[in-house]
Amino acid sequence: MNTKDKILGRLRQGVREQFDMPDLSTLHPITFPDPVAQFIQKATTTAGARLIELPTGADLNQAVHEAYPQAQIFASNLPGIDVQLNPDTVAEARELTAVDVGIVQGCIGVAENACIWVPQAMKEKAICFASENLVILLQRQVIVNNMHEAYARISGSEEYFRDYKFGTFISGPSKTADIESALVYGAQAARSLTIILT
Amino acid sequence: MSTLHAKAAEAYLRNDDIVVRHDKTFFGVRQKRDNMAQALPEWEDLREAASQIKKHTVTHLADYLEQFEQNATRNGIHVHWAADAKEYNDIVYDILSDHNVKKVVKSKSMLTEECHLNDNLERRGIEVIETDLGERILQMMHLAPSHIVMPALHVHREAIGDCFRKWGLMNDLRPEDIPEDPNDPTFLTYVARLHLRKQFTEAQAGMTGANFGIASTGEVVVCTNEGNADMSTSIPKLHIVSMGIEKLIPDYASMGVFQRLLARCGTGQETTVYTSHFRGPRPGGEMHIVLVDNGRSQILSDAEHWQTLKCMRCGACMNTCPVYRRSAGYSYTYFIPGPIGINLGMLRDNRQYSDNVSACSLCCSCDNVCPVKVDLSTQIYRWRQQIDSLHRADATKKMMSRAMSFIFGHPRLYTRLVGSLHLARWVPKCIMNCRMNPWAYGHEMMKFPPKSFHQTWKELKPKEDENEHKG
Repeated sequence: MNTKDKILGRLRQGVREQFDMPDLSTLHPITFPDPVAQFIQKATTTAGARLIELPTGADLNQAVHEAYPQAQIFASNLPGIDVQLNPDTVAEARELTAVDVGIVQGCIGVAENACIWVPQAMKEKAICFASENLVILLQRQVIVNNMHEAYARISGSEEYFRDYKFGTFISGPSKTADIESALVYGAQAARSLTIILT
Repeated sequence: MSTLHAKAAEAYLRNDDIVVRHDKTFFGVRQKRDNMAQALPEWEDLREAASQIKKHTVTHLADYLEQFEQNATRNGIHVHWAADAKEYNDIVYDILSDHNVKKVVKSKSMLTEECHLNDNLERRGIEVIETDLGERILQMMHLAPSHIVMPALHVHREAIGDCFRKWGLMNDLRPEDIPEDPNDPTFLTYVARLHLRKQFTEAQAGMTGANFGIASTGEVVVCTNEGNADMSTSIPKLHIVSMGIEKLIPDYASMGVFQRLLARCGTGQETTVYTSHFRGPRPGGEMHIVLVDNGRSQILSDAEHWQTLKCMRCGACMNTCPVYRRSAGYSYTYFIPGPIGINLGMLRDNRQYSDNVSACSLCCSCDNVCPVKVDLSTQIYRWRQQIDSLHRADATKKMMSRAMSFIFGHPRLYTRLVGSLHLARWVPKCIMNCRMNPWAYGHEMMKFPPKSFHQTWKELKPKEDENEHKG
């Protein structure tokens, strides 16, 4: 008998009593009178991100450059953004560790914890993590109350995981408190996060 | 005869400063958890849902594992099954050597710790780099984790700075880059950042654990604050996931419940910075998932202890445990400390790890913070009932228990003994508080009152009866 059958056999034999899946529709998760305001508050406090509310018609490129005036290498595959590197065309993912500012599109914002759903929409997802600084573009109408609503949207949609088999929720810049519990931003991944709300 | 835990804790407690700091650090995390719990009106419903989902999943685990394997395979992931640590280590080694991997970057995983993967790979010539900052510090210092979520909080910044300097991590820095306090946590984190980012670009493979496996989609979810799991899997083309079979949950609806509980309970945050869903290999890459049993299917058949399989390793039970906070991780003989570690250790080997069952005051605080409602203290109590049959009972305590049961079984003898206890008041202090008397250890012997409770009660009772008659 192979290992898989052995394990499954032991599991089937070992169960004494089976329990039903609970009805999760009776759970009433927290909602907010103004999810966008809640999202902004969470993003800019506990999550440690910067947030720019971009007026309609404003120049996105200019906003990105103003947010990072010292930056030299910008990377993105989004249309209309001036960049030096494109995650679709770099030969190796490690090239993206040289990026000063990576710009990606977020698809769902979560008010309760400032998580932003960033599905992989580029060949090299390293742009989301290896860039020194990350900019996520987000539309205010895609902000939901809580993670339950976010997961319901993802599982109800055909568009995620279709081209690339990865997606991540990002809430703020990379951080650690592993040295004497002192909170430090910029552990291994992006040192800062700027959310541009459109 | 004290347990190994008690002896190690005694040694640890000699340094007040260290104990107070450790206690405060982890109670601080516990308080942050409380703030999170109080901020959500549905908190208790979430815990109940999480507990029920886990009960359902582990009692249908074979079916869900098959579904998971099917979906993962369809997504282009290679799924492997390992019955024990040896088979697991061999599978990982074979995958790595097939791909000519010389260096692997790895994010935190208690399962690899459980199976001693790092030593095993290093012995066979593959360099393993831990990429969680805490884990990397411990790896460089040749230390084991002292906590499952915050593994290196017991190491002080000076020691970390010295370690980084010894390893040459600051060699490339210019003198003006080094701040006035060369052990400043922000600076040390920056030094580690430069070091680790170099490792990500050099490694040929990335390894991660799995916080959750989702059966309905065949994907794994990894949660980190540092982004190290993502760095480890975005640059190297080979990704190997190590997953204990109990980490499975049914679907995305369940995922919402667990994502919301994990960070809130573990570190007192609303979320980890990254919650990453891996549903297949990256373009041009390869992804493997190794499903590891290593005793878990045995736990399921244990009528009294199967619910430990619900655990999602958040560490909340350690942070709240008064014994863990004041004795720290290394006092325990199993590699996972605290209430969950006591239980997992006993399930691993109930003779080898029985020294830890004494590390509990039965205050039950762990039961109340556990996000999946594992009845941790009840289980520890049950283990204690078995200690004697395992021939691991303390001889002195056993003798005392026998004597007490004899005395309690003979009421007249009991009354006479209690009646004469006040004579102990005349025994000189130096004799009463000598080391021979276990009740005078760590504090002075209690003072016996001149009259026993029974005597006082008898004297008071007639008055009450009179009152009742009057009424």
